[in-house]
Amino acid sequence: MSAAEIAEITGLTLRVGAVATAAILLPGVATGLLLARRSFRGKALVQALIALPMVLPPVAVGLALLLLLGRRGPLGPLWSALGIELVFSWWAAAIAAAVVGFPLLARACEQAFAAVDPGYERLARTLGLSPLRAFLRVTLPLASRGVIYGALLAFTRALGEFGATALVAGILPGRTETLALGIYARVQLGEDAGALALCAVSFAIALASMLIAETWLRSSEAGR
Amino acid sequence: MSEGSTQIRVELSRGEFSLDVSLSWDARVAVIFGPSGSGKSTLLEAVLGLAPSARAQIRMGGVWLEDDARGLRLRSEQRRLGWVPQDALLFPHLSVAQNLAFASGRSAPPAAGSALARAIEALEIGDLLGRRAHELSGGERQRVAIARALASRPRALLLDEPLASLDLPLRARVLRHLLRMRDELEIPILWITHDPDEAQVAGEIAIVMERGRLVAAGPPREVLWSRAVLPLSEALGLENVIDGRVVETGAHECSVETARGLRLVLPVALPIGERVCLSLRAHDVLLSADPPGRVSARNVLPARVERIEIESGDARVTLDAGERLVARLTTGAVERLGLRPGSQVHALIKAQALRRIA
Repeated sequence: MSAAEIAEITGLTLRVGAVATAAILLPGVATGLLLARRSFRGKALVQALIALPMVLPPVAVGLALLLLLGRRGPLGPLWSALGIELVFSWWAAAIAAAVVGFPLLARACEQAFAAVDPGYERLARTLGLSPLRAFLRVTLPLASRGVIYGALLAFTRALGEFGATALVAGILPGRTETLALGIYARVQLGEDAGALALCAVSFAIALASMLIAETWLRSSEAGR
Repeated sequence: MSEGSTQIRVELSRGEFSLDVSLSWDARVAVIFGPSGSGKSTLLEAVLGLAPSARAQIRMGGVWLEDDARGLRLRSEQRRLGWVPQDALLFPHLSVAQNLAFASGRSAPPAAGSALARAIEALEIGDLLGRRAHELSGGERQRVAIARALASRPRALLLDEPLASLDLPLRARVLRHLLRMRDELEIPILWITHDPDEAQVAGEIAIVMERGRLVAAGPPREVLWSRAVLPLSEALGLENVIDGRVVETGAHECSVETARGLRLVLPVALPIGERVCLSLRAHDVLLSADPPGRVSARNVLPARVERIEIESGDARVTLDAGERLVARLTTGAVERLGLRPGSQVHALIKAQALRRIA
């Protein structure tokens, strides 16, 4: 297996992870805030639904996505009309990663916002800030540790995503083959050396992400 | 009703609790006094525009902030009210200087003579500007919170139990800062407290609340001692409050004389001419039927018994010792001394029992 091949697979994996995380950042923060600050009817059900992709078999999530994104699914006419083909593209891999990463991010945000005394935001209001500016200047910075930690969790989860991705994006070398898919494909083909090389890259990326997360947590702790 | 008058009417209910208060006053500094759970802080929330379910009419600093009859409701950020919450709520991710600049959005040092610069000076927090909230003591946090509120150039200042989170020795110091601040400001102040000593000295008018309702309002010296309020103020620690001026001072003590000529010895040296306000718990007043001989108590005051009230084994004896004093004895002691209205007695007060509240 060539270095160019490894670089291509790694690049695609990072791109899928980054796009997935970026896409869920705003909705994840908004959902976390809603769950932390508002009480409403059916809140427990909403929380359970959000957690679902985290506990369902990823293959089941993949099947559901395949139905939703495929030309033969209920949204099929829409995709046809727009002329986009999502299934078996790297976009499908990113969508699968986003769906399984979302609960991790939303949960982390919920906990982070719940830990911030709402009094700070109220006080900022009395000092002349609109609700949005009070959130951006007070609550968000105070919860930033948890939000960034949640984003890193979702990102690393995206890097390792396999089941849902395999179903909805397939394992197409150069198009949808991420690290996790590549390892599986190479083991199937008996290319143990290639599988091990991709494993080593996965290990390095995961370790680096977690190191960044932990160091960052510690440094912002010291700044408090 | 004058231009600058304050008007507040708030109705609100939260589960079991309901708040229904309506009043107006002309004084600049008003104290809202009541036990915890009486609805004081909820009333403050409504004034600040932070209680969405409240129906209210609020006028402060000459401006209508809310009037449900006219559909007027300024948002919190439009009300320009300086709020100092009980726990200060300094932003923990910012330095003291950044907390102070929060309202103005400017990080440059405040211009000399600006509202912020004057607040920093009056509250003596100039040395704290580089610190974070968690590096400050309780008293420092309160002072910074007050300066932050003033830096936003509010039309009124709302203090929610500004001394409640402080321990006793610190309380007297911060109170002195607060009173100086109060005298220098020209904006209306609404000062919430459950401490009757504080209520006596803080404002020109005391508004008493209990269980979400208004009990009484008027000059603090009259209201807190009125028949309707006295049981409440006594339960919260008000028994004797004495005003005076230092007339003589020594190395470790001084003498204070009241307007009606009562003299008391305090265990601190204070400059002659300084005004003081003292509080004294009723159970710290001893009574002697005969002139006492050599006793350690520094204050022995001839007095006449005015009234004796017996309640559940306890006797509350009101005395005229030049100033009015209240003593608390057992009913047994009252019988043994043969006390009745008109009896001549001597009141013995240890210098240490007198607490300076302002």
